[in-house]
Amino acid sequence: MRIVCPFCGERELGEFTYLGDAKPVRPTADAGEDAVHDYVYLRDNVAGVMSENWYHGGGCRAWLKVTRNTLTHEIAAVEPAAGAGAAKVGA
Amino acid sequence: MAEFSWDVRSPLDRALAVGRYGGHGDAGVALTEIRNFDLIQVMARRGKAAEMAKAAEGRFGVAAPETPKVVQTADATLIWSGPDQFLVRSKGDKHGMAALAPLLAGSASLSDQSHARVLVSVSGAKARTMLAKLSSIDLHPGVFAVGAAAATSMDHTSVTLWRGNDRADGQAVFNVLVFATFAESLWHTMQDSAAEYGVAIGHSEEF
Repeated sequence: MRIVCPFCGERELGEFTYLGDAKPVRPTADAGEDAVHDYVYLRDNVAGVMSENWYHGGGCRAWLKVTRNTLTHEIAAVEPAAGAGAAKVGA
Repeated sequence: MAEFSWDVRSPLDRALAVGRYGGHGDAGVALTEIRNFDLIQVMARRGKAAEMAKAAEGRFGVAAPETPKVVQTADATLIWSGPDQFLVRSKGDKHGMAALAPLLAGSASLSDQSHARVLVSVSGAKARTMLAKLSSIDLHPGVFAVGAAAATSMDHTSVTLWRGNDRADGQAVFNVLVFATFAESLWHTMQDSAAEYGVAIGHSEEF
């Protein structure tokens, strides 16, 4: 599997580290115990297209949001995660 | 009281033995450690990338690289190292911390890496063949031209790789910048990879 880093270009998998599902959003401080429990522990076991966080630690050290099909490994989109290379986000 | 020696030594001091090793005939690869350079890491502060770019252009007369490449000025090399960041390599303190901080500190975080990195220049007729064992970057001249750069990994070690100006004999020169504490390990790997082609080992302060 190869990932096309928006900053570096196409690179081998070994340069990247997988973090996990990019969907969960940290609940607000007053959201309650159930919301925090869901955020910390509950993950969907997606068979299909999924949004994931990857780290290009062996390259430009940017965090990336990768849209990947977990069945075929097809990658539909790679974009910088919020805060990574701020100049490029939304450019 | 104990006597201390504060001599500045290369991290490759123990590993690097000048000479000609490996396969017979002309050395196919030259491995040259470049010593005594100034290196400053410049990283834009949040939301200030444009401001940093403007300040850098004011200082160097050319725009700092915003894509993986190096920009050569009369007395400095600006090396892309990631989004909104670059390294400034120079010598003789021309673009050291004291010179850059007043201009760039408002828009960027600066960090002196002069003694934190090791720079190895790889050249010779077999340089690409040897590097192909270590790197997954396509170094074909049509893809990786003079001035191209990459933040990548070699032998599980993060490196900044770029192609400098060709040697006088037309051979390509690849520069590998590696963290000082990983340098000895990578050096041995590079030397072993080059041995079958014949390798000329040396060091220099010229760049």
